[in-house]
Amino acid sequence: MSAVAFQPVSPRRRRADKLARGLVALLTGAALVPLVLILYYLIKQGIGAISLDFFTTDPTGSFLGDPGGIKSAILGTVLMVLLASAVAVPVGVGVAIWLVEFGRESKLAHAVRYFIDVMTGVPSIVFGLFVYITLVIGGVGGSSFAAWKGSVALGLLMLPIVTRSAEVVLLLVPNSLREAAYALGAPRWKVVFRVVLPTALPGIVTGVLLSVARAAGETAPLLFTAAAVNATAFNYNDSMNSLPMLIFKNVGQAQDRLVTIAWGAALTLVAMILMLTLLARLIQRRSRLS
Amino acid sequence: MEAGTITPVGEHGSALHRSPAARLPDRLLKWGLTALSVGVIVLIAYFFIRLVIESEPVFQQVGVVDFLFSADWVPSKELYGALPLLAGTLITSAIALLLGIPVAVATALFVTELAPRRIRGPLTIVIDLLAAVPSVVYGLWGFFFLIPKLKPAEVWFADTFSFIPFIGGTVTGPNYFIAGLILAIMILPIASAISREVISTVPSEHKEAALALGATRWEMIRMAVLPYARGGIAGGAMLGLGRAIGETIAVTLVIGNAPVIGDSIFQQGYTLAAVIANEFGEAASDELHRAALIGAGLVLFVLTLGVNAIARGFVMRAERGQRAARGPAAGMAG
Amino acid sequence: MRYSQFLALGSAAAIAVGVAACGSSSNDSSTTGGSSSSSAALSGAGSTFQAPLVSEWASRFKDSSGTTVNYQPVGSGAGIAQLTAGTVDFAGSDAVMKPEEVAAGRDKGVPVHLPIALGAVTVSYNLDGVRAGLRLDGPTIADIFLDRVTKWNDQEIASLNAGVDLPDTDITVCHRSDESGTTANFTQFLADYSRAWADGPGVDKSVQWPVGTGARGNDGVAGCVKQTPGSVGYVEQAYALQNDFTTAAVKNRDGQWVAPTLDATSAAGEGAKPPASLEFSTINAAGARSYPITAVTFQIVWQDACKAGISEDTATSLKAWLTYILGEGQSVAPELEYAPLPTSIQSRAQARVDALTCNGSPIA
Repeated sequence: MSAVAFQPVSPRRRRADKLARGLVALLTGAALVPLVLILYYLIKQGIGAISLDFFTTDPTGSFLGDPGGIKSAILGTVLMVLLASAVAVPVGVGVAIWLVEFGRESKLAHAVRYFIDVMTGVPSIVFGLFVYITLVIGGVGGSSFAAWKGSVALGLLMLPIVTRSAEVVLLLVPNSLREAAYALGAPRWKVVFRVVLPTALPGIVTGVLLSVARAAGETAPLLFTAAAVNATAFNYNDSMNSLPMLIFKNVGQAQDRLVTIAWGAALTLVAMILMLTLLARLIQRRSRLS
Repeated sequence: MEAGTITPVGEHGSALHRSPAARLPDRLLKWGLTALSVGVIVLIAYFFIRLVIESEPVFQQVGVVDFLFSADWVPSKELYGALPLLAGTLITSAIALLLGIPVAVATALFVTELAPRRIRGPLTIVIDLLAAVPSVVYGLWGFFFLIPKLKPAEVWFADTFSFIPFIGGTVTGPNYFIAGLILAIMILPIASAISREVISTVPSEHKEAALALGATRWEMIRMAVLPYARGGIAGGAMLGLGRAIGETIAVTLVIGNAPVIGDSIFQQGYTLAAVIANEFGEAASDELHRAALIGAGLVLFVLTLGVNAIARGFVMRAERGQRAARGPAAGMAG
Repeated sequence: MRYSQFLALGSAAAIAVGVAACGSSSNDSSTTGGSSSSSAALSGAGSTFQAPLVSEWASRFKDSSGTTVNYQPVGSGAGIAQLTAGTVDFAGSDAVMKPEEVAAGRDKGVPVHLPIALGAVTVSYNLDGVRAGLRLDGPTIADIFLDRVTKWNDQEIASLNAGVDLPDTDITVCHRSDESGTTANFTQFLADYSRAWADGPGVDKSVQWPVGTGARGNDGVAGCVKQTPGSVGYVEQAYALQNDFTTAAVKNRDGQWVAPTLDATSAAGEGAKPPASLEFSTINAAGARSYPITAVTFQIVWQDACKAGISEDTATSLKAWLTYILGEGQSVAPELEYAPLPTSIQSRAQARVDALTCNGSPIA
């Protein structure tokens, strides 16, 4: 073959290439800097509070004495998010199943998808406001702050995320699986619950865990729905503590020990969410569908 | 029935026929789920309608135009002009986009095109971890760490570049810029994830063609990858924007909460979301004030609706373009 | 992960949470030694001015009586609004309810203002090299907050502080962004000394600030002052002490320069003669040793608790709480640099508490 017909790369172009690649790498590095800084700051401020007692005692609210720990906040976050998930997950997955198996491209399905999309864009504070107006001031179940009302706000937040991600995963289930099941004489419901769902389960779990991680970290919806108390509460009809509220309330307190508690709580919350996120990613990797 | 045997045809002429009773669970499932989906639509519609109804008092008193465009937000004097709030929301979101999207696209490019294979996975996880930090932590970190640390740099920047509009002037601690910066960090993971996905769908034929024509790596990205992924990236940017518009806690801690329109990006301001969070405890028994805050929420809602619609428009156009581009190329490759 | 495995894992997790929950709840009931049956919990909201004190009281009250009191420091305005809306049992406020606010709560009855302590509103500043006790008087402070005095070495400040080396730094004002009783008291003080302030921003829980950064709560303003070199803000004494702020010595009505100490705060309350409604103010109080920006802080409850929607049990808890804070609690106040009420006012307040009713009859 004769000598190559292409022109050699000019030094100018080579420089441009190096420059551009360097810039991209630099910006990527810049993206990582905040994460490192935040984690470092959190650990520096909050590590002093971490101890076994920290996780097993309630905040006392005492200004002069022992400030206690964050047990009620952790439990509160878990309980409220649990209730929110208990409603949002079945509903979300149910709607996703309907969209994929029954509604498909019908007009109603388009409408449902549109409304779910709309819901994804609603800021969390507006959900909190809505629940505040309808449930707290509206006096449903007593006109006071209650954990279940906070859960409603969180559930509204989680619903579109769960639905969206479940729909994506369900769509990835190969049709051949469904067809094989039908061919074997399985009724619709069996195909859905025994074939499609189990296949899509890891992906759905990923979506659920991500929405749980999101809900656990939200403060805005809880500001005026569940309030924040110190004692561990299991009654959903009462106010319940939660990590974001405890952080928000204590971080500016005129008492150093309480401030350290707030940072310790922040560290705990970030650790919990990080674990959930990593778990979700791990499950996603092991899924047969991704 | 054992596998492998041939089932005799029943009286209905088909082996798969089931009695109406046996079909019941299927029908229940179908109608149950349909009812659920319709229920969701009803819920969201109710949500929107309730917001409109509750905000009516303020629109009656002040009028929609005045509410949106007058600049005085003084609840104690019953003045509800949301312009400073709207301006603050838009300014901080614009800063967030300007700072965040280039970085997001850069990380997406780095991970999909330029990084060594081994670090792609871990790098992706680390960038996604930014999404795991709750907004209250972002706000507090911004307030306690970022504001004091960046103040000298901001002052220098404001002084050096004061000829650029909206840059010169005094620098307050909490300001639009810091809020925009925090928002940029918050939208990074989602914008990066979407960009990554879109960039990875660029057909390798395009990339190979560019390289085969002698393009450098960067030129290949510029010619083959970015134009193709443009729509999807824009869509991701819009989704990030939607998030930035609605972010409450992080912003209220670092923006200064002053219901005025600052002269420069280093001045303090207010946003729609922050005003709701700050004032709705006080508005519990004041119907007009409450209506005004719900009105602000409604404006926020409509804004994010608009942004979402634009995002979807971008994504759909991009998909159409991709399908068109793939068609002839597939034909050639095949 | 297989379906059944996942199901098993999920249920195991749920059971674990349940056991942990039950475990700790039994822990709780055994440690609330104390007397009486655990009565109904109380919820209150409002002033951040009194929040440190209420926090400490609530903790000690829980130890002695077993009743939980939950207080949300959301600002006086929000506290009053919540009380009127019926979402809390009592409101903490440093400002007396305005006629409109009282009217808004008409269906719940008549509000009763109970003074619970006195606190100093400090003028805290963050100025390198300037020690505590910078002399500032009413007109000067008003001019600072009116944006008329913009540098620390301005003539107005320098003339009051001969011998102090004032830097050529810009003044950054920190103020409240929420409806605050502290603001109401502070602006009252400013209005007393500055015509321009009285005619301009005026006196209210929330005003149009000519200049400055807004923050939520006393803690927010404290944060603003702490973070911003060259800043000045008004915060309650407990917050100033916690953050090691340098505070100004303010000129009182008798012409004396007074620092916000516990003695000066108590002195301001000494000569006070509250009306029957106990709605009074100690701003700009007379007395040579009085700190002029001393605020009375109240807890507001409904005259007829049950008519306002509170249950009988809660009303009983409420009365016990109020009796505690007006009685034993008064001796706790000085530990946090709040001044206890003068005895005469304290007994009058207690009498009002005893006169609270539940559906017409006195609370048990």
